[in-house]
Amino acid sequence: MSVPVSQMYTVASYVIKQKLSGRKRYPLVLMLEPLFRCNLACAGCGKIQYPAQILKKHLTVEQCVRAVDECGAPIVSIPGGEPLMYPDIDKLVIELVKRKKYVYLCTNAILLKEKLHLFSPSKYLTFSVHMDGLREDHDEAVCRDGVFDEAVVGIKAALERGFRVTTNTTLFDGASPLRMRQFFDEMMNLGVEGMMLSPGYSYSKAPDQEHFLRQTRTNQLFSEMLSRNKRQWKFNQSPLFLRFLMGKQDFECTPWGNPTFNMFGWQRPCYLLQEGYAATFQELMETTRWENYGKKSGNEKCRDCMVHCGYEATAVDYTFSSVKGFAETVAVTLTGKL
Amino acid sequence: MTLEGWIPQINEYTSLQEVVEFAFDYRGNTTVVKGDGSEIVGYVFNRNSDAPEPFIQLFDERGDGPFNIPYRDIATIKFTGKDTAAGNSWKAWVERKEKEKALRGAASGADRLGSDPGPHGS
Repeated sequence: MSVPVSQMYTVASYVIKQKLSGRKRYPLVLMLEPLFRCNLACAGCGKIQYPAQILKKHLTVEQCVRAVDECGAPIVSIPGGEPLMYPDIDKLVIELVKRKKYVYLCTNAILLKEKLHLFSPSKYLTFSVHMDGLREDHDEAVCRDGVFDEAVVGIKAALERGFRVTTNTTLFDGASPLRMRQFFDEMMNLGVEGMMLSPGYSYSKAPDQEHFLRQTRTNQLFSEMLSRNKRQWKFNQSPLFLRFLMGKQDFECTPWGNPTFNMFGWQRPCYLLQEGYAATFQELMETTRWENYGKKSGNEKCRDCMVHCGYEATAVDYTFSSVKGFAETVAVTLTGKL
Repeated sequence: MTLEGWIPQINEYTSLQEVVEFAFDYRGNTTVVKGDGSEIVGYVFNRNSDAPEPFIQLFDERGDGPFNIPYRDIATIKFTGKDTAAGNSWKAWVERKEKEKALRGAASGADRLGSDPGPHGS
């Protein structure tokens, strides 16, 4: 685990507070999408297929901040689109840091070096760089040659300036465990704080439908990749979520754990499924038919999903729901053995 | 499979609610034809059929909005804009990569032939 103690403390005290107040459903990470525009068109992405007038639009900083305040989650992830293309990204980050939110700015890093001067290093700000594997694998995943090298330049520049940098990796069928292990070595050698992993989700709008992982294949891939994990590998996520991906833990989805806000409103029910929008966060929480989602619901869209936005919140909640959950998390964190 | 170009007729076989669902799922602009014959072109991003007054929400083709239009005002929805989710870019990417590899392979083969005169070369 590579999450700094102050961040762990913030998350832990937030979750415990929710539990003590008897709140059954609470958000952990707000997925804030200020725009859908991107400078890449990755085959596995279902986020950018919109008409031109939608791709040109973006939220205002005021709309973003209102959503952050309304939601109350301690962590704000800014995906997109490419957030570094958002014209007010610097102002948005300043506002969020002022609110002591832990911000994960999810970027492909093509513009990172060029835009670094807009930001100041802070424990609240992390550049989470999209890296789907070694050079050839990543460039293939993002459908453009040279992006891996550009991202490495961005990562190095951000690290030199003292920023927190992590990587986020989406794995598709056909990923090689051996190559991924080499990739982990390479990223840690670059000096990133930690890595985040997730299996891909089969967006119905994504062009590539053939390479998404099914559950048993996910377990197999993550087991092969993470068994006998090296101590130098740091993961910036719940170790129990990684164990879940390896098939060592059974969790149910927490679709409200990572609520999503974008120019259309509050997305129902989760970051991945797009079944409608609520005008307010309260409306989202109170009127979404949560029982229709997750594996137990029998919803076939949820059947093979093991993505972080549904299950990492479950893993974190599990940690703080029982002595057993807490002990398991501590044991994995201390021993480093997944 | 894309609905691009579809102009549905609302009748006993195709309900307005079904067409609204298709429009909501469509990643392109549509033309909403109202009962009075007027039209609005835009991207339908939401609908609520459970509301006391069911409605759709859209941004028009200039990006203005959102505009709410009650179901009762809609005659039909035409799928007039390009379906931005249609196509198969992964396949195109893989094919292009394969072609590039083949070309690189052929070029290096030709280079070898050119630089190596062989045992009987001049």
